[in-house]
Amino acid sequence: MLEAIQFSSLREFFEMGGYAFNVWSVYAIFSIFVLVNMLLPILRKEKIIKELKRRASFEKAETNSVREP
Amino acid sequence: MWMWFAKLGSPRWFYEISTKWLPWLASAMCILMIVGIVWALLFLPPDYQQSFTTRILVIHVAVAGTSLAFFPLMAVAGTITLVWKMKLADMVAKHAAPLGAWFSFVTLATGSLWGSVMWGTWWEWTDARLVSMLFQFFLLLSVVALRSAIEDPDKSAKACALLSIVGCINVVIIKYSVEWWNVLHQPSSPLSTSNGSANGPEFWMATGVMILAVYLFFIVSLTLATRNEILQRERRSQWVQEIVRTS
Repeated sequence: MLEAIQFSSLREFFEMGGYAFNVWSVYAIFSIFVLVNMLLPILRKEKIIKELKRRASFEKAETNSVREP
Repeated sequence: MWMWFAKLGSPRWFYEISTKWLPWLASAMCILMIVGIVWALLFLPPDYQQSFTTRILVIHVAVAGTSLAFFPLMAVAGTITLVWKMKLADMVAKHAAPLGAWFSFVTLATGSLWGSVMWGTWWEWTDARLVSMLFQFFLLLSVVALRSAIEDPDKSAKACALLSIVGCINVVIIKYSVEWWNVLHQPSSPLSTSNGSANGPEFWMATGVMILAVYLFFIVSLTLATRNEILQRERRSQWVQEIVRTS
């Protein structure tokens, strides 16, 4: 399987036959695109849960204070 | 049949079933994406004319193909919203629009990076494929803008649904633009048996893996965003409060 690799050295791999800028830019853009669209909803979920928790504890405190007197 | 339909529209049902499915979909996506990228970057033989730039096309073809799914999806969701007023359909449509804009942008950027060395130009205004894809990008941005411009959620859902249905016309134009007007962008290449060419079996296999990976990414990302929307819109319901308490 290793002999099917198209490059004989690491330098050749980075050079991409002289198209280094274009090939690596595409893979960089694609990686950012995938990472951002996976991480943003995951981080947003944590924020929403935190916010809903805060609201729940707030409402609980409110109903308790109403009941007390 | 109608029971099933009503169940499918229930945000709670969707949230629970996606909790079960997401780990599997996400792992399949990760595996396919790693296999696709390693295959494309290391093993894809250089094309006799395009050299190593076919590595760009593996990504470009997968993202561009998937980007065409957004308007049909939003149109179906929009029709369901207009006819049956199903809440879930509108939540999916709402989050599909910005993700679709991302897909269109990446399609344009990767295509430009390939064109700049293979066509000798970054952009060509007379090419119908390029311009119609740019139009899709702006159309998706306008759906996002329309959503936030109308305050009443029912009215904005209806307006976005209509725009999404009309936007499907552009998908047909993008699809057939390369056959109707032949300027720069080449039509989809049929499979060739020669491995040294850009459309050889190795290229199409690596691209096939990448298409599957990108489709799964689209499903996973959209599902994650829709689940957030469900948590927010259904925050008053018992079952969401239970999830909040236990997490």
